[in-house]
Amino acid sequence: MNTQIDSSFTPDALVVGGGIAGLQSALDLADQGLKVLVVERQASIGGHMIALSKVFPTLDCASCITTPKMSAAAHHENITILTSTEVEAIESAGGVHHVKLLQKPTYVNFDKCIGCRLCEYACDTEYPDPFEEGLGAVKAIAVPFTNAIPQKAVLNAEHCSTCGTCARVCPTDAIEFDQQPRRLTIATDAVIVASGFKLNSITVKPQYNAQRSQDIISPLTLERLLAPHGPYGRVLRPSDGKIPGSIAFVQCAGSRDESIGVPYCSRVCCMYSIKQAMLLSGALPLADITIYYMDIRAFGKGYEQFFQNAKAMGINFVRGKVARIDPLDGGDLSLHVENTEEAENPIAERRHDLVVLAQGMIPGWNPAAATPVACAADGFVATTSLTAPTATVAPGIFVAGTAAGPKDIVDTIAEAGAAAMQASQYLFQKRAEALVG
Amino acid sequence: MSEKNENGLRRQDEEAQLECGEPGRDEAARVERAMEAARRQEAAEHQPEEEKLRIGVYICRCGGNISDVVDVERVAETVRLIPGVATAKVHTFVCSDPGQQTISNDILEENLDRVVVASCSPFLHEQTFRGAVARGGMNPYLYEHVNIREQASWAHKHDPAGATDKAIRMIAAAVGKLHHAAPLEQIKLPNHRRALVIGGGIAGMKAAADLAGRGIRVLLVEVSERLGGRLNERGAVYPSERSGDELVADLERRVRRDPNIEVLVSSQVTAVSGFIGNFKVQVQPVRPDAKARVIDTTVGAIVMATGFRPYVPRNGEFLYKNEPCVVTMPEFIQLMRSVKPDARTLTFGKREIRKIAFLHCVGSRQLDGVHEPQPDGKLNTYCSRTCCTTILQQALTVRERFPQIEVFDFYRDIRTYGRGEEAYYTEASKSGVVFFRYNGEEPPRVESAPAGRRARDGAVSITVKDTLTWGEELTLGVDMLVLGTGMTPGPIEDLIGQMKLPTGEDGFLQEVHPKLRPVELSVNGVLLAGTAQGPMNIQETLAAAGAAAVKAAAMFAKDNVELNPYVAAVDLDLCRGEAQCVTQCDYDGALTMVPMEVGGEMVERAQVNAGLCVGCGACVAVCPHRAIDLNGWRLDQYEAMVDGIAADIPGHECAADLVSIH
Repeated sequence: MNTQIDSSFTPDALVVGGGIAGLQSALDLADQGLKVLVVERQASIGGHMIALSKVFPTLDCASCITTPKMSAAAHHENITILTSTEVEAIESAGGVHHVKLLQKPTYVNFDKCIGCRLCEYACDTEYPDPFEEGLGAVKAIAVPFTNAIPQKAVLNAEHCSTCGTCARVCPTDAIEFDQQPRRLTIATDAVIVASGFKLNSITVKPQYNAQRSQDIISPLTLERLLAPHGPYGRVLRPSDGKIPGSIAFVQCAGSRDESIGVPYCSRVCCMYSIKQAMLLSGALPLADITIYYMDIRAFGKGYEQFFQNAKAMGINFVRGKVARIDPLDGGDLSLHVENTEEAENPIAERRHDLVVLAQGMIPGWNPAAATPVACAADGFVATTSLTAPTATVAPGIFVAGTAAGPKDIVDTIAEAGAAAMQASQYLFQKRAEALVG
Repeated sequence: MSEKNENGLRRQDEEAQLECGEPGRDEAARVERAMEAARRQEAAEHQPEEEKLRIGVYICRCGGNISDVVDVERVAETVRLIPGVATAKVHTFVCSDPGQQTISNDILEENLDRVVVASCSPFLHEQTFRGAVARGGMNPYLYEHVNIREQASWAHKHDPAGATDKAIRMIAAAVGKLHHAAPLEQIKLPNHRRALVIGGGIAGMKAAADLAGRGIRVLLVEVSERLGGRLNERGAVYPSERSGDELVADLERRVRRDPNIEVLVSSQVTAVSGFIGNFKVQVQPVRPDAKARVIDTTVGAIVMATGFRPYVPRNGEFLYKNEPCVVTMPEFIQLMRSVKPDARTLTFGKREIRKIAFLHCVGSRQLDGVHEPQPDGKLNTYCSRTCCTTILQQALTVRERFPQIEVFDFYRDIRTYGRGEEAYYTEASKSGVVFFRYNGEEPPRVESAPAGRRARDGAVSITVKDTLTWGEELTLGVDMLVLGTGMTPGPIEDLIGQMKLPTGEDGFLQEVHPKLRPVELSVNGVLLAGTAQGPMNIQETLAAAGAAAVKAAAMFAKDNVELNPYVAAVDLDLCRGEAQCVTQCDYDGALTMVPMEVGGEMVERAQVNAGLCVGCGACVAVCPHRAIDLNGWRLDQYEAMVDGIAADIPGHECAADLVSIH
């Protein structure tokens, strides 16, 4: 995998984001013989998907689907990957996009690092591991996670004590404390924006009181708890390490809610909550699992059947929006909910010992500020073409995956292919015109 | 009583097994055994000696999916003892880049000449590891994949010792197989750089336009008289609210103008044979009297863009066909499109409509014991994905154009999931659409109103147990009931049969894997675009068509099509030309008898077409002379696998005690 390039490198296309959308777009371009540069902000490609436990509706382990695509991209002769790199701006002129990149210092020379992790083992400074959603600890210098690509150590300057131990144990002298941020501009004919999503804050709804209890968790935290190689190796509630006996999923906790500025549906929450509920009932057969919902949106291929299976497995589905969550003394959480299907006492207080808030998807990056790409009222990249859903308002710049609105993995992968098709056509036609002159 | 077999492993006594046989069969069995031993001897002579083999075994923890049950360290320790195994290593994710790197490095540094990976299903990662092996400079077909996840850790999660023993034995089988493996080469076939797109709806037109935009020639075949498919009947599309006709016209213009695209309407694909890179197709006019001719041509890839068929309710289903005012969604859209722009009222059958109800999930999300099965005995258990937003779009249109009409919506879950779709729900609520929510187990009842009260109360009444008001039972009379009918698979049974295409439980064409190969069918070179795969809205259909086109474009970027070499091979020394294999073969053209000269005499012998052979092995089973075998899966390899499973591994003492798996 080529990780060091300079401005003389002119790829046919540049893909912003090395998550599942960006990787699929890159592979679909590269398989047509086009040279692609993938730029990823994080220290590893793989995006959100590589951190998931299993994926609906097949219950394949997420790593099993993501790692081959990561590996295929990393080994592809037509793909170059830059990690720990951000896109600062795109300036388009005369049909060429000048993409301004900022390579953040990793304090490790990737040409020298052999991924042996001796520095990581020797380092004695730890901080909450972002890959484990803060549940485990990671060393200040470390390979980001087990199946990260590239397998190179990265030093986190914020947490480093500058003791120098890593430099002393490194067998290849790869540690460079004096690394500086590096700026470079890449000229390319086509860009695919695959910058993904983030979840809105877990405290976005003050009535859910997430700041008052560690046991009101994010769905991504539960993904890590459910992952076989997760922080605890099993499902324990974060506050006291107790095995949870009663788990609640609160749907639409950050979506379909004009009061928090997210009026739209985040499209994946129903299905991942159902999946997590199924996995939990496997991991904790005695646990009581309830999903509080407004509408179950199991719309994709095989999804409705998946939902019906979950019902048959004994997962409780309660139709009602949770109004408030109160942490109680002793660790339980009290949910105030109206069960609209209950004729007697529809308004009830229900107690659980772990609550998962289905936070909404919001854009991972706002390209409108520094690129010719425009965003729509929902904050995601605007697409206006009637017949090319992956075209942006800027010629030669395309969009794929959750950068253009919430989307599940299946739809993301299809859209990534479509964006690659649109970009390759654009390149083909541009070059055909150039030949005709 | 056991003896060493040619692999140096100890085999369980075979005499003991024979004693169980019927007396009359013993002699035949003995003869068969003798022949078998001779064959094995011969096979062994062709193989490298086991001491020379250096096999690397890589055992995956799969995070914990495997190692939580299977004692992977013990598996590694044990399989190291199997003759030929040079190294056995455990890795958290062998499929990850560092895992693959370990394999490639070991091949170079430890001079491995065979590799086994024991991990998940080969369906997921056989190709991944072949790639890693090839990067190490080894022939990728000297690699064996063992599935100790689905077949050991997941299958026997309550029996860790048994699962561990099973994993060891499965690896021993793979090692045995590798002792008889020969390097193989991918089959390279010529690639006809032209695609056939079946279906001229928006999926087909988009796929055709995308491919032509990359300079690839396309034959686009549409069975009806015009392009555009179902979208021609749709009117405004959500969420843009632009005209569907405009969308069709835009795509049609591109398709018609592009010199790379040949469009045939009123035509159907009547015959398909051949294989990826080289499909022979026949296209005929739908009506024999048409001037159009029969076309026989060759294409490299086929895109299935055959679309869907709207669900048509049974007669009497919610009084459909019994009451004229009960209509399906396509019928209602036609009614709305026929209304004059200046009309102040909506009339149907000369009667003014004052109250309309929309009913969701008609023909979708059907439940066992609640809904009547379809004529094929199946229920449409799936969600049709598009009906909720379509209903709300139509409900909103009615409220905007005819504010005097009261609109009622009977739903199970409102699924306005897509970008810009939730707004239809909020706007419909704001505009005064009244919602009732029913449980799937208790769908609303629709009844004809008594003759005297129809004018006042509406022609039909709907009774619903409304869960928005805590299960209250309500009855409502309406002048029109619109059934939110979903999507069903298109009428392509002939093509499915002829091309041997897989369909899912839902009847739609079934992709290989929803994430790994989402637009590919198990028939190589046949791709999926749009609602032939399952319900999709327009944006999703266009994206799926692009995804299908990009796979075809990538395939056409290469000069040759490359296929796995697991096909039948004929041993001409043994073939007697009896053609039993040809009779047995299920795949037209995969096996044929061809004349050839043997010993100065013209005879007929079996010949394999590598492009058409799927490697099923039916031919191998019927050949009385063992003259045909499968490359990569030869009978001697199966035998070695069985030996490997049954063998005691020196040092693996407890294997015989672990009877739980037997």
